[in-house]
Amino acid sequence: MSDPTILVGAVAYDPKAVTIWEGIREHFAEQGVAMDFVLFSNYERQVESLLQGHIDIAWNTPLAHARVRRRTRNQSISLGMRDSDRDFRAKIVARRGAGVTSIQALPGRTLAVGSRDSTQARILPLQFLRQAGVDLSKVTLLPFDTDVGKHGDTGMSELEVLKALHDGRADAGAVGDLIWVTEQAAGRVDAAKVEVLWTTPPFDHCMFDAAPGAPKEKLDRFQKGLFSMKWENPKHRRVLELEGLKQWMPPREEGYASLHEALDLDEKK
Amino acid sequence: MSVVAVDGGELPLGGGLLALLRPALALLPPGGQLALSSSAPSVAQDLPAWCRVERHDYLGADPLPEGRTSHRIARGSLGVARAPEDGGLALPERADPATGFAPRGAAVEPGGPVYPFTLVERDHVIPPEVGMLYEQAVSSQWVAARDIPWDTVKPLPPALEQALGQTMTFLAENELSALYVPATFLPRIHPAYAEVAMFLATQLHDESRHIEVFLRRARAGGGRLGVSSVTTSQSLLSLLELNDFTEAAFLLSVLGEGTFLDLLKFVERFAPDEATLLLTQKARVDETRHVHFGLAHVRHALGHDPSLYGRLEAAVRKRAATMASAAGVPAPLADALTILAAGGGDPRGVRKGHEAFRELLETMHENRIRRLEHAGFSPEQAKMLSDLHTPNFM
Repeated sequence: MSDPTILVGAVAYDPKAVTIWEGIREHFAEQGVAMDFVLFSNYERQVESLLQGHIDIAWNTPLAHARVRRRTRNQSISLGMRDSDRDFRAKIVARRGAGVTSIQALPGRTLAVGSRDSTQARILPLQFLRQAGVDLSKVTLLPFDTDVGKHGDTGMSELEVLKALHDGRADAGAVGDLIWVTEQAAGRVDAAKVEVLWTTPPFDHCMFDAAPGAPKEKLDRFQKGLFSMKWENPKHRRVLELEGLKQWMPPREEGYASLHEALDLDEKK
Repeated sequence: MSVVAVDGGELPLGGGLLALLRPALALLPPGGQLALSSSAPSVAQDLPAWCRVERHDYLGADPLPEGRTSHRIARGSLGVARAPEDGGLALPERADPATGFAPRGAAVEPGGPVYPFTLVERDHVIPPEVGMLYEQAVSSQWVAARDIPWDTVKPLPPALEQALGQTMTFLAENELSALYVPATFLPRIHPAYAEVAMFLATQLHDESRHIEVFLRRARAGGGRLGVSSVTTSQSLLSLLELNDFTEAAFLLSVLGEGTFLDLLKFVERFAPDEATLLLTQKARVDETRHVHFGLAHVRHALGHDPSLYGRLEAAVRKRAATMASAAGVPAPLADALTILAAGGGDPRGVRKGHEAFRELLETMHENRIRRLEHAGFSPEQAKMLSDLHTPNFM
């Protein structure tokens, strides 16, 4: 008989991943659901392990989720996402005084961008700029390829983008709206030096993925345990705060259309 | 529905606007609406993102004259702090350990950690007299170095000096226990009843001062400290090991410190100098307040929970059992009090000293019974409990 324990993969983008997943495991145990986790060092390895059946479920970035969808011809099973994963946006932020007053003024200027596998700080802002008619071949990119393999989870490359704007190395930069808003709320953005220029259309972020044909009973138990976490419960709240959400939401696929378009374009190259 | 208006001027989100916006939202109920007028163009992009992150609903923007924009926001329903309806004036019947150190009356954001406070029931923790006693305590503080005429202390005949050193040693040892025992309960008291913790803090400070003056007096005339006896040590350990706040208040404050009032009065009566007289008198005034609080606590708790009578009686019996091997008042103390009352080692005087000591024990017993009856016990119960009280006095 196969092991009833639900094995979930997650990427250890920060030491707090251990705290988060031990907290979630404790919550599942209290619900009578046997769950354990495996931490990976990068999303590529995690996706391979999911597709080879080493783990039941993977907690995936949008890029990892899109790859799972493509590799399984949309037969993978999406299980849930954070409230904060819905309608994510990226911001094009400009240095005041650089003379960049609209995204049409970007050609000929330097645009700081995050890691090449960061959906919010590189892949999608560039895709949306392209769709908005900006000729990217004439824009000088200042890339910060930090923490490659973590798909932008650490936010490190976005902080580098903001730093480059503050000290004048770039005229504009791309960051996710989460970092942009939380850095402002924490008083770490100098509003006299940097301001928002443009907001991208919305897109969705992380997703719990299961491989095609995963046992339904396991996935049902997982969803039941996940959706019973409540912000008002102090034990849950600690974990939810660390993971950056207030409530778990059902899955939806339409929020990944723009990312699939960007990947299609990349494959054609 | 009424909409709260906020003028954001030209402030950008990350340039001070949140200091206007967040407090205004905090006053709204979930779903309550706010209209922010702003002339900063960046706000149109940053505000929806901030609302998304904070789980408020960004409802949209309307143009205003002079290039200004009105942004409409509905407050989200998560993390809404609950304020007590009466502003925190009334004591909660039961305090919530998840409100932590939030002062009573503060609006507490839900989801905070649960604190390990165990004294969470109003009727077991906070007697109505506590406010008055706290006021009394803070206005009657005194300073050992300033308020005691230490220069009146002169060397005494050796027997009397030794007796005084022994008496002061005993007083200091017992006051050390009166410092430590309430201190173990202080961190268990829910801050909704902070007045009790604050009163105990004055009590702890009183005990510190008493320890200071008793030790200083023991040495002031050139004498030394006396003996710490096993009876005293056993008796005080049985206090320190108490786990119940009301039992501790009963055994320490009502019975122990109550008995101490008579002891201090005795030392005062036979004080060989002005300094000794004043320091015991001042200590007795403080101790009277502690006894008053202990009585108020026990009477209040008994009034709400009659089963406490049985528990308190059991606590006294249990303590008496651990003290069964003690023959009586610790011998070094009995001798010292006799010599102190005799004014020295002259045999004729000692006869009178011995009489005074026997009278002291009788007075202590009578006053304990009176206090126990005042606390709510029947005369029979009071007599029985007083008989079982520790021969160590405290």
